Amino acid sequence: MKKVIHEALFYLAVIVISLVVLFPFLWMLSSSFKTQTDIIAWPPKFIFDPTLQNYAKVFGEQDFLKYFINSTVVGGLAVGLSLVLGLPAAYSISRFTQKKLALFILLARLMPGISFLMPWYIIFSRLGLMDTYVALVLSHMLIALPIVVWIMSSYFNSIPVELEESAMVDGATRQYAFWAIILPMSGPGIITSVTLSFIFSWNNFMFSQVLSMEKTKTLPIAVYNFVSYAEVDWGGVMAAAVAIMAPAIVLTMIFQKFVVKGLTMGAVKG
Amino acid sequence: MASVDIVNVKKSFDRAEILRGVSVEIRDGEFVVLVGPSGCGKSTLLRMIAGLETITAGEIRIGDRTVNELAPRDRDVAMVFQNYALYPHMTVAENMAFSLKLRKTPKAEIDQRVARAAEILGLTNLLSRRPRALSGGQRQRVAMGRAIVRDPRVFLFDEPLSNLDAKLRVAMRSEIKELHQRLKTTMIYVTHDQIEAMTMADRIVVMREGNVEQIGGPLELYDTPANLFVAGFIGSPAMNMLKGTLETGARTGFAAENGSFVPLPPSAALDGLAGRRLVLGIRPEHIRIVADATEGFRVTARIVEPTGSETQVSAIADGADVIALFRERHSVRQGDELWLAPTHFHLFDAESGARVASISA
Repeated sequence: MKKVIHEALFYLAVIVISLVVLFPFLWMLSSSFKTQTDIIAWPPKFIFDPTLQNYAKVFGEQDFLKYFINSTVVGGLAVGLSLVLGLPAAYSISRFTQKKLALFILLARLMPGISFLMPWYIIFSRLGLMDTYVALVLSHMLIALPIVVWIMSSYFNSIPVELEESAMVDGATRQYAFWAIILPMSGPGIITSVTLSFIFSWNNFMFSQVLSMEKTKTLPIAVYNFVSYAEVDWGGVMAAAVAIMAPAIVLTMIFQKFVVKGLTMGAVKG
Repeated sequence: MASVDIVNVKKSFDRAEILRGVSVEIRDGEFVVLVGPSGCGKSTLLRMIAGLETITAGEIRIGDRTVNELAPRDRDVAMVFQNYALYPHMTVAENMAFSLKLRKTPKAEIDQRVARAAEILGLTNLLSRRPRALSGGQRQRVAMGRAIVRDPRVFLFDEPLSNLDAKLRVAMRSEIKELHQRLKTTMIYVTHDQIEAMTMADRIVVMREGNVEQIGGPLELYDTPANLFVAGFIGSPAMNMLKGTLETGARTGFAAENGSFVPLPPSAALDGLAGRRLVLGIRPEHIRIVADATEGFRVTARIVEPTGSETQVSAIADGADVIALFRERHSVRQGDELWLAPTHFHLFDAESGARVASISA
């Protein structure tokens, strides 16, 4: 009996917490299918005639496909370049215990992003790089690179150093050992850091808002298209937000299982 | 195949001195074991031979070439690590072929050499498996196979058996020794286990705190240990040691500080040692039971452990622990009072620890 009560309380707690966490999401999802009148109705309408007009606006009136491409290009390049620079950096930090360097890189992450914006704005304008992919990719790398370096350096720490030592005695240079032995074992770590840094870039609002204009506008900024002086088109905002979130959620769900998988098993005694 | 000369090699990490001037000449084809307690610098020395640690001072030569500045890949040595360090994303065959591929060996020759090594080690059926699908002993064999295929000038082993269970360890010990007899390549083997050292080595290098304590064949170390440390380290159970002075007057014997008097046979070798502070060392297997105090020293048996082939008696002599090992059968029981006498003993200087005499009674 006691056990049943315990279990009931447990599930009650789960439901309550889930409701609190998921409510904004569910509100957004339902609002995206409502008319403006239904959205602002009081008391709130939980039963309503669903409409697709908001989505029609997002993909019809607005050029969301273009914003989608912009976000993908910026995110892809920022993450890709962060991997190219960050993987060797993380490896060096891990193997040569460069704690100060690691801290320095973290510092970039700790400082409020907004403090970089003013200098960037000036630099990028003078270089004529405003509203270009270059400016956006570089600014997003400010966050993506520390994510890659921090996740990967602790991941490399978990790989026994004897693996490269063995490869080096076997005839490899350190660089080749990194390439042929360490990287192929680092899949889970790389997927984790790619997922997290890509989602960051995908969701970033502040950097993109300041550094992009119509040509390179990314998705989160495009949501703003539904906000004007006269009124806020809540249905359009909600539908756009759902459309933006969908790829991120799908991406996370796909890679979640890879992230958990440990590939190092069998390398050493175990 | 090659000789390895280690000449006055030193190693410091920051301010900590790990090796304080080590010299060892290893002959071509020899099986040398570096042994000592943890922290003695044996693994560091091995890693310096492999090129994985820099050399602070001194010289290491492989063959007639100084290798101090050579990268590991240019030294033509193969190393087996304690945790095997198998590449988890490669099959057994790929693990073994890795070094040959790096050397751009023709495919046909790689296959042939991998097949041969697999045959020697009994891995032929496992070639397409990944390391995670292997048992500890099989992983150990793959690690050795990876070394064998290369046909290196020197094999280096860093405590390769310490992750295996006791039974497998004994079996692998014989296998490695057999492998050495078959390949006749120089092998340098690091372990903290003196039994491993004794059973496998042509010569043993006993190390402590960055210094070489003694170099010699297994029986040489057992019979004539250079000092107290080697005497205590080699042999199991360890040598009994009593501090005290030698008396050669009315009665010859060793007056230990705990109060025990060990009667010893008069010998010319004892001349001149009387009165000096010494340590009497008696191995457990060099003790016999005698009739009374005129022949031996009194002990009380505390624990009697028969194993069939021999019986180990742990006893107390005036507060000092004494262990005796008998191959013949005695009806000793716990609490019995016995008189024991050495059949063979060593004397060491109490100050320096150096051996001054070894005498058979």
